[in-house]
Amino acid sequence: MFKKILIANRGEIACRVIKTARKMGIKTVAVYSEADKDAMHVELADESVCIGPPPSKESYLVIDKIIAACKQTGAEAVHPGYGFLSENAEFSRRLEEEGIIFIGPKHYSVAKMGDKIESKKLAIAAKVNTIPGYNDAIDTPEQAVEIAKSIGYPVMIKASAGGGGKGLRVAFSDQEAFEGFASCKNEAKNAFGDDRVFIEKFVEEPRHIEIQLLGDAHGNTVYLHERECSIQRRHQKVIEEAPSPFLDEKTRKAMGEQAVALAKAVNYQSAGTVEFVVGGKDKSFYFLEMNTRLQVEHPVTELITGLDLVEQMIRVAAGEKLAFTQADLKINGWAMECRINAEDPFRGFLPSTGRLVKYIPPPEQHGVRVDTGVYEGGEISMFYDSMIAKLIVHGASRDQAIHKMRDALNQFVIRGVASNISFQAALMQHPRFVSGNFNTGLIAEQYPKGFDAADVPHDDPTMLVAVAAAIHRQYLARNATISGQLPGHEFTPGEHFVVLMGIGQHEVKVSEAHGEPGGWDVAFAGKTYALRSGWQFGEPLYIGTLNGTPICMQVERRGLVYRLFHWGMQADVQVMSAHAASLQALMPVKAAPDMSKFLLSPMPGLLTQIAVAPGQEVKAGEILAKIEAMKMENVLKAERDCVVDKLLAKPGESLAVDQAIIAFK
Amino acid sequence: MHDIIHQLDKKREAARLGGGQKRIDAQHGKGKLTARERIELLLDEGTFEEWDMFKEHRCVDFGMGEQEKIPGDGVVTGYGTINGRMVFVFSQDFTVFGGALSETHAEKICKIMDKAMQVGAPVIGLNDSGGARIQEGVAALGGYADVFQKNVLASGVIPQISMIMGPCAGGAVYSPAMTDFIFMVKDSSYMFVTGPEVVKTVTHEEVTAEELGGAVTHTSKSGVADLAFENDVDALLMLRRFFNYLPLNNKEKPPVRPTNDPADRLDFSLDTLVPDNANKPYDIKELILKVVDDTDFFEVQPDHAKNIVIGFARMEGQTVGIVANQPMVLAGCLDIKSSIKAGRFVRFCDAFNIPIITFVDVPGFMPGTAQEYGGIIKHGAKLLYAYAECTVPKVTVITRKAYGGAYDVMASKHLRGDVNFAWPSAEIAVMGPKGAVEIIFREEKNDPVKVAEREAEYKAKFANPFVAGARGFIDDVIMPNETRKRICRSLAMLRGKKIENPWRKHGNIPL
Repeated sequence: MFKKILIANRGEIACRVIKTARKMGIKTVAVYSEADKDAMHVELADESVCIGPPPSKESYLVIDKIIAACKQTGAEAVHPGYGFLSENAEFSRRLEEEGIIFIGPKHYSVAKMGDKIESKKLAIAAKVNTIPGYNDAIDTPEQAVEIAKSIGYPVMIKASAGGGGKGLRVAFSDQEAFEGFASCKNEAKNAFGDDRVFIEKFVEEPRHIEIQLLGDAHGNTVYLHERECSIQRRHQKVIEEAPSPFLDEKTRKAMGEQAVALAKAVNYQSAGTVEFVVGGKDKSFYFLEMNTRLQVEHPVTELITGLDLVEQMIRVAAGEKLAFTQADLKINGWAMECRINAEDPFRGFLPSTGRLVKYIPPPEQHGVRVDTGVYEGGEISMFYDSMIAKLIVHGASRDQAIHKMRDALNQFVIRGVASNISFQAALMQHPRFVSGNFNTGLIAEQYPKGFDAADVPHDDPTMLVAVAAAIHRQYLARNATISGQLPGHEFTPGEHFVVLMGIGQHEVKVSEAHGEPGGWDVAFAGKTYALRSGWQFGEPLYIGTLNGTPICMQVERRGLVYRLFHWGMQADVQVMSAHAASLQALMPVKAAPDMSKFLLSPMPGLLTQIAVAPGQEVKAGEILAKIEAMKMENVLKAERDCVVDKLLAKPGESLAVDQAIIAFK
Repeated sequence: MHDIIHQLDKKREAARLGGGQKRIDAQHGKGKLTARERIELLLDEGTFEEWDMFKEHRCVDFGMGEQEKIPGDGVVTGYGTINGRMVFVFSQDFTVFGGALSETHAEKICKIMDKAMQVGAPVIGLNDSGGARIQEGVAALGGYADVFQKNVLASGVIPQISMIMGPCAGGAVYSPAMTDFIFMVKDSSYMFVTGPEVVKTVTHEEVTAEELGGAVTHTSKSGVADLAFENDVDALLMLRRFFNYLPLNNKEKPPVRPTNDPADRLDFSLDTLVPDNANKPYDIKELILKVVDDTDFFEVQPDHAKNIVIGFARMEGQTVGIVANQPMVLAGCLDIKSSIKAGRFVRFCDAFNIPIITFVDVPGFMPGTAQEYGGIIKHGAKLLYAYAECTVPKVTVITRKAYGGAYDVMASKHLRGDVNFAWPSAEIAVMGPKGAVEIIFREEKNDPVKVAEREAEYKAKFANPFVAGARGFIDDVIMPNETRKRICRSLAMLRGKKIENPWRKHGNIPL
């Protein structure tokens, strides 16, 4: 076994690999760019080497620097993680030349599978299902109909140069094929100046399901069952699970065996993944591509098989034989992974960078696992991808896994940068997701206009009312302990309150639960909510029980408002006496100011330039101002024709998010 | 006897109605509460003791005779408790003669102020008044002056807070101006010495009342007011919270509200708060929130002179005043506005025995003609004077830059700072390395290699807390993560601190 390995990666995957290496008694070397000087993976590794400036092209992607780092530290092998150099055949070849072992497949396997055409040919040769189609240009509509018939409907007619939905037709009959061909060819000619058109099988309600493989250098290859990765947003996986709620035993076996056949065809010796598209109507499956690396979503496979894939990769690379056979590989329970990204779902998933002012992942217990590469007080840099953690749960059943995931999302506290936790929570309770009846189009179909707060309904908003009432009562109880009160005239908090949430008003009675410190009984609408918690002011998580059932809610006090976060929903709640509430009703409802006539700063940053002057007419698309944020220049352009009225900020000024910069007439 | 009781009930009923139901409805229509509703919200339920409910004006001119008398005369006065602690209140009643101040109206205010001084309890004024009762002429003016005089004598003896909840114009502004804090309600209150009409005739400027003296104007541009609230209810409920930080008078220690937040709580995320790049800003409020009890910080003047942050918090339950340079705005430098803002706050804390915690990251005073012509010398001196004069416990933490005269000003050891800490990232020097090298090695300034060398040399020597530490200007270099613990211990040690300034009639702060 190796004594020391280098991890040619960063973030959560570098930390993940280091953990396994440490468990195996192997020393680790981290490499890092200047932006990652204080990163977690550097902290965790036994040694670390700086490999250059922040952009990955100048650091994590420079083969020479990785090799130099290996030599400098005496690392015998390199784990590439995913991304960066993980599927770079040149990298693995160069390592081989230098006598350093690549913890991954042989470079020839990588090279063959990295080529789309060659991999498809190999797949066909290995009798792996590929999407039936006619891969030469078609000349006439008649020919198109013939081909479509031979493939079997429905078919997709697509322009060779097509893209962005243009030059695409789906045909379910001869007539549609005939007409579709003509119009597609026309459109292709007009749009791209290239009228070559192809036909292939159209997979209805496609699901993305992949098979995890493991091969050793002794000719053994097994499949570790499948992962369902159909929940995607713009082709980026969002939620992955294993097993798939869709596959039956027969399909699973067929897919697994085909994947193994393909791996054997390239003498695959490591962990790898064969991706399939699976028809949601007929369970037909077709090979898409093979990923010759460890996948982001590998933990779900680990949790249902009990194997440590990184350990297996290291053992295989060290020449060991697989210690198990296909027959040993069972599916135990259900695992699910949510990718936690630093992006704002309520602002079109705009990546968010900056300081992690608070970062408290849920505790890793009772089947909850968190693979993370960041820490509280750390920095989310603009130089790398926005994934900051993976939240993985394991349950006996799919329902249990979903339940655990919802609870774990409640407990995940991230402040300072935006996160997609609300979005993940919304998906976790979406009926289509819960039913298992979905395909890769789910997110696009359900949130066609993007995601907003109304997309996260709460199962039981009364929980929020009860918690807010209890917290407020606790606040008043503490106020009653303030020094300097008039003896005999001390403050008494009272029991009756009104909870204001959105447009709703709820009259509640809050009483102290006798003999149970931190216990409050909140009565309203004919029900009693017994809350028991050791929560104290300043703590971001209200953890306790509600009528005996565990509850975890995020709490933030903002002036008079309690901001609660639960199951993806954020609610601003106010609690006051009935009298105050009756006076509150007299207060004017102030319309939010109309900001359409202002240029607002989309992010916090430094205003470096204002390119217009008051009175100036501006055409749509013209530059208005520049903001520097995270060393990046952001150009703000006019969205429509307008006339500048006033400048509200000066160059050199620090801007808050949504701060007005320019007023228009 | 029965008759008298009947009369009493009648009179009370009349007094409670103020200017009548119609005017009450009009007040509500404007989104404003009545004088009595405001007091009910501000004080603990049922604790208000009203005085002078039957007081009437003595004016007979201009139709102000018998039939134009309304019991109470446009202001509701008395006392009660906020969280069980004593407070005197007056609340002007806009439904009665537009809340206009008469001689008797002023007498009512003076009466509670006198009593507040005698018993040592704060006075809160809820202002909603059209101005002086013109029919009374000089009698009303005299009333104002009587209130001003009492405001001044009470200053520094009992906390005085003004909540502007309607108009407050002309001479009337000077009573709130004399109090310790001025809060305003957005869209329904304004303060100015002369209104938009007069402004138009005199300076030909066209400006609305809101722009001239609204809550947003005074909390962001002029700095006259300390906080702006959305509406009456928000304002009064927040005022209750604010009151919890204040001692009742200058002889009392600030109140203690027990907390469960451990005094020795460490926060390791603070170790990465200060960026490596000296020019990169960070948010000092994160430090404040992570150091104080329960992440609870009551900021005042958040929208004015944002390069300095001031406000109240608690450490181990005891009220403290926080002053902190804000690197996010103008690099945290001191200028005219921020010096005035912080200087006045420091003096308030000192007057009322509230310990001061100062977080320092200051590159110096702001240069430029605007500042010099504006009198930065005298205004900057206000903050210096305030810190130097102050005798309450002073704990200072230098997080990064402490350059030049601004270093001296920000509660340095030299100004009787009791405990002065520095983080390892602290740089205590006359100026930044670049500027220093340009002056010391003027003759080498055209040689970039030498300049870089000299800069590195200067940086190595001064860009650390050790030089100051060697002289004892810094008591200890502490890890950011232990900041709360070290401040708590220092404050505990300082609890019995007693020093006195030399006797004098009063100092002469550079006004």
